[in-house]
Amino acid sequence: MIDIFLLEAILNGILLGGVLALLALGLNIVFGVIDVVWICYAELIMFGMYGNYVLHKDLGWPLLLAFAVCVVVVAVLGVLLHWLVIRPVLGGAPINQLLVTGGVLTFMQALATLVFGIEFRNLGISMPSLELGEIFLSQSRIWACGVSLVAVALLWLFLKKTYLGTAIRAISQDREIMPLMGVKPGRIYLITSAIGGGLAGLAACLLVLQYDVHPAIGLTFGPITFMVCVMGGLGNLLGGFLAAFIFAQFIQVGGFYFELEWGYVFAFCFFIAMMFWRPQGLLGKRA
Amino acid sequence: MRKMHSAFAALAAFAGLALGSTAALAADPIKIGVIYDYTGAFAGGGSKAAAVATKIAIDMINEKGGVEGHMIEAIYADAQSKAEVAINEATRLLDQENVDLIMGVYSSGHCVPMAQKVDAAKRFMWANVCVSSAVFKGKNLRYVFRAQVHSDQFGWASCTFLNERSKEKLGIEPKDLRVAIIHEDGPYGSGVASGNEETCKGYGMDVVLKEGYSAKAPDLSSMVTKLRRARPDVILHTGYNPDITLFLRQSKEQGLRWKALIGHGAGYGQIDKLSEAFGADANYIFNVDPVAAQLLDPATLAPGLGDLTAEMVKRYKAETGAQEVPPHTSMGFNQSWIFFTDVLPRAIKTYGGYDPEALRKAALDTDIPVGGTIQGYGVKFFPEGHEMSGQNERSSPVVMQYIDGKTNIVWPTAIKTIEPVLPLPEGHAYAK
Repeated sequence: MIDIFLLEAILNGILLGGVLALLALGLNIVFGVIDVVWICYAELIMFGMYGNYVLHKDLGWPLLLAFAVCVVVVAVLGVLLHWLVIRPVLGGAPINQLLVTGGVLTFMQALATLVFGIEFRNLGISMPSLELGEIFLSQSRIWACGVSLVAVALLWLFLKKTYLGTAIRAISQDREIMPLMGVKPGRIYLITSAIGGGLAGLAACLLVLQYDVHPAIGLTFGPITFMVCVMGGLGNLLGGFLAAFIFAQFIQVGGFYFELEWGYVFAFCFFIAMMFWRPQGLLGKRA
Repeated sequence: MRKMHSAFAALAAFAGLALGSTAALAADPIKIGVIYDYTGAFAGGGSKAAAVATKIAIDMINEKGGVEGHMIEAIYADAQSKAEVAINEATRLLDQENVDLIMGVYSSGHCVPMAQKVDAAKRFMWANVCVSSAVFKGKNLRYVFRAQVHSDQFGWASCTFLNERSKEKLGIEPKDLRVAIIHEDGPYGSGVASGNEETCKGYGMDVVLKEGYSAKAPDLSSMVTKLRRARPDVILHTGYNPDITLFLRQSKEQGLRWKALIGHGAGYGQIDKLSEAFGADANYIFNVDPVAAQLLDPATLAPGLGDLTAEMVKRYKAETGAQEVPPHTSMGFNQSWIFFTDVLPRAIKTYGGYDPEALRKAALDTDIPVGGTIQGYGVKFFPEGHEMSGQNERSSPVVMQYIDGKTNIVWPTAIKTIEPVLPLPEGHAYAK
């Protein structure tokens, strides 16, 4: 006899995995191609969430239009982040690249505090739940998970089937040789940053339906997203996707059998064990 | 001769005035380090409201000429909702800014280590908002004082309220009442939850689940699933702001229903935020907190306190543009006012100054009867040697209920402003 509540926890784990996978997607593609970790990735999402709030709640725009505009705006922010901050330190030591994006994180949090204040804001939208007998599932989570799957599929198709995608993959495989073959890395980096930013914007649209937005919201998602990416193999899209679902199951099922916090303890223990067993990540290749 | 006498008298009076004002001008200002979370997650959960109110109290005191001729020179520091920043700021204020005392502090997670650090350095701290009993319990602190309610009382109040009204309102004997206790896992949430568990079990209630979680957890759905399985009649919740809204949202989506939800301060003290997020679904939530002063009948308080509350409310609304004045405003203002108008003058007049020793002695002499502060409770500190030395033994919380955005007192019964709506009315989104 299956415990119906355990089944609900597992299904919720799958939905949470979808959310984490979407968060990891943008961070991974940027690292995979440009070899720089956007420590401030969750803060881009925060700005996207604020954008949705302002456009929909303050200005009264239709939600879908607000979503579309925010995806574009955050994509542009990604481009600006690369052009203004990353590009000057691309040839520098990795620690400098980390520090500079860390600085952007602090800057964005402070800017959000100055512009939007410290209040918690939300769209006030409540989506109905999906009832399957005794099991209740969040529709906003189902949407997030579904969109995440579609985004991964589209990104995969783009990288595999288009000329630009091939160029992006080529650059990610060898940053030194490809320019000799006629690929312009600067242009590819900008396009990749736009894609990374756009995915952050997409995540913002789905998260703003589930969470309040405030200047520190990035701290809720930033560390866990980074861990999912590392566990999957930094830069490995499929690895990050898989890691997100494994991580989420640890949180959900662990939190179901024990106290909620134990779920995170198990997930982090698994992460540490993985770092010993496969430091390159689940699907990453040894350098 | 008579004219000359008058002239002398006038001259003497003038000289006296001049000397007096010179003395006042010459008196050193009292430097106070005020620490709150002006940014980060705690800021919107009540810390900013308390900080604004503390500043209002300081401004009002200075407008009246300070305390015994000493102006208050406040240095405001932002703890950024991070314990390590709070401790560093306290150290900076004490060692570099050379403040005479530390005041404020919203989070119990900041308060517990800060109190021990300040006390160990034999410096003085006046805590305004943090509630954890662990700040004082068994610590034998000598230089830290708090007039505010403590977390054991929060836990006690909700269970006692249920014990008194369960049979009559829910038709359930207290011993048959199924209660779930959930809380953020810092000193504040854990302290209140311990008080809940001890008191509810003491009344014979069935505690079907007790669980803590991190206030920064991105997901609470497995806890909601367990709550559904445990089928509580009443949920006792202690949390900050983002986790409370996440819990309410995920509970609704996952079909968790209850007869009553009782929150314990912090995020539950922000009714305007809850109403904005949940609209009518925020109706009938209970909140245990020190009372928002404007809800009390001024006739039950000492003369002049009603006017003081009105002034506080007026200034707070002007400063923030807020329509609702949360309990944290009263907490930030009231504790500061007690210090500036009772403890500090006595320290200067009776103990010759405002060094930590004089302030400690003056605080221990405090004896304000019930009705003597804007929040109704009196002030007398547990003496040294007591398990809770430094904590106000006369503090007391109330149970409030939000109905259509309005805050009402439902317990203690003697000062209730409405009859509690219990259980949730049929048709409510969370009604069982």
